[in-house]
Amino acid sequence: MIDKISFLLIEGFRNLWRHKLTASTSIFSVFLTLFLIGILIIVGQNSHYPIEYFRSKYKIEVFFNNDTSDAQEKIIIEKIRELPEVRSVTPITKKDAVRIFKDQFGEDVVKMLGYNPLPGSAVVNINKDSFEQVNLEPLIEEIQSLNGVDIVRYQGRLISRLERFYQMMINLLKISTGMILLVSIVVISNTIKLTIYTCRELIKTLQLLGATKMFIKVPFILEGIFQSIIGASLAFFTIFGLMKVGNHYLPQLVTLRIQLDLYFGIGLLIISVVIGFIGSYRAVSKFL
Amino acid sequence: MIAFNDVSYFFSKEIGVKDVSFEISHDEFAFLIGPTGSGKTTIMRLIYMDLMPDEGFVTVGGISSNKIKKRKIPMVRRKIGMVFQDYHLLSDRNIFENVALPLHMVGIRRDEVRERVMNMLNELDIEEKEKKKPFELSGGEQQRVCIARALVKEPEVILADEPTGNLDPVAAHDLIKLLENVNNEGTAVFMVSHNYNLIKNRGHRILEIQMGEIQNQ
Repeated sequence: MIDKISFLLIEGFRNLWRHKLTASTSIFSVFLTLFLIGILIIVGQNSHYPIEYFRSKYKIEVFFNNDTSDAQEKIIIEKIRELPEVRSVTPITKKDAVRIFKDQFGEDVVKMLGYNPLPGSAVVNINKDSFEQVNLEPLIEEIQSLNGVDIVRYQGRLISRLERFYQMMINLLKISTGMILLVSIVVISNTIKLTIYTCRELIKTLQLLGATKMFIKVPFILEGIFQSIIGASLAFFTIFGLMKVGNHYLPQLVTLRIQLDLYFGIGLLIISVVIGFIGSYRAVSKFL
Repeated sequence: MIAFNDVSYFFSKEIGVKDVSFEISHDEFAFLIGPTGSGKTTIMRLIYMDLMPDEGFVTVGGISSNKIKKRKIPMVRRKIGMVFQDYHLLSDRNIFENVALPLHMVGIRRDEVRERVMNMLNELDIEEKEKKKPFELSGGEQQRVCIARALVKEPEVILADEPTGNLDPVAAHDLIKLLENVNNEGTAVFMVSHNYNLIKNRGHRILEIQMGEIQNQ
């Protein structure tokens, strides 16, 4: 059994050399599709940097009722902090508000009016590292409903536009990746079908000699998988090289470094094996 | 070894074979002769179960065509050594690899494969061609490789479909002598030919087929 398996494995490798012309066509098409998929994945993986930047600028200002005491404000702030969408809360007490007013307008409002008219408030920052669309409406409603909260101010329209755009981009990436994956399976399948078509005499001879379907199929399937792995490796190293070049020049333009993790390589390898297997199995099954 | 029991096979527009019955015993050498289109190849295809009878049944090495499952057909073919007119050698593999193929199919160990293939190439006087590709050999040598590939798996019967068709008279005569030697060692041989002069007076049974029917046994 081990001898049979090792023979089939070696045959799969040798077929690459025997069918070099069709194999190179297939490798090139895998390379091209996985290169595109890889670029889309990288764009997807790195797309959170700009959105995180924008999300860090999302500012929700919560103003408390004027008659709310500092102690009550602290309790409200704690309640806001416990909300899952909230990353941090910066309290601004009534005294802080007076100081900020003085810094901005140069006047001491307490001296002018004889009392402090400014309410206590808090600046709420939200979690920024989510691939999902951030919908602030429920959060705003929840904060608004807290006893002691007067007004909640935020850049509602701008945020929802940014989030909608981000979500649209993520969905577009997913759809494009899926479509390219599907196209690549069809392309690989057709290339291998072409290889198998040129080998129909070989297949007939093997059948006449008593080869089982599996014995005929396995080398072709392995050949397809090997082609895909080679194509994926080429795509990975090309992307890696481009990323290195990009990271060398990008910092001169923007504060962004392209990230590429180990999972990317493993993912590309898994995708290639799946594409190779499905493509070659589909092709060889048409002839046997 | 091989038995045809009232076998008929119909192609869509013509009769392949009709009511054919004959037997080849396990140590017999028999010829099948007939003109082009008479049904010789159909008989061969029915034996290696590339075609299944529309009526009757074929038995090969105890396995009957009316009981066998499709996935078991390779097991029947492993009992048969096939020799073809156009050799059916794999052009992208050398002679050693061509002859070794049937042994790899059944999962024989690598060192044993080497030993058996080299013995077979020695027996057929083509051991020095081991590393050559089929197209580098003459027709007679290619046919010897084809026989080596058929014999290396120690089949119960050799089916030879017009094996002398592409050979000159001397090489054709040598080939039949070779098959007779194989038969003398206990393997049944069933050979198709349309060259009566080549097979007459050899003391073997001759089956004659005309228009899909066996005329003479």
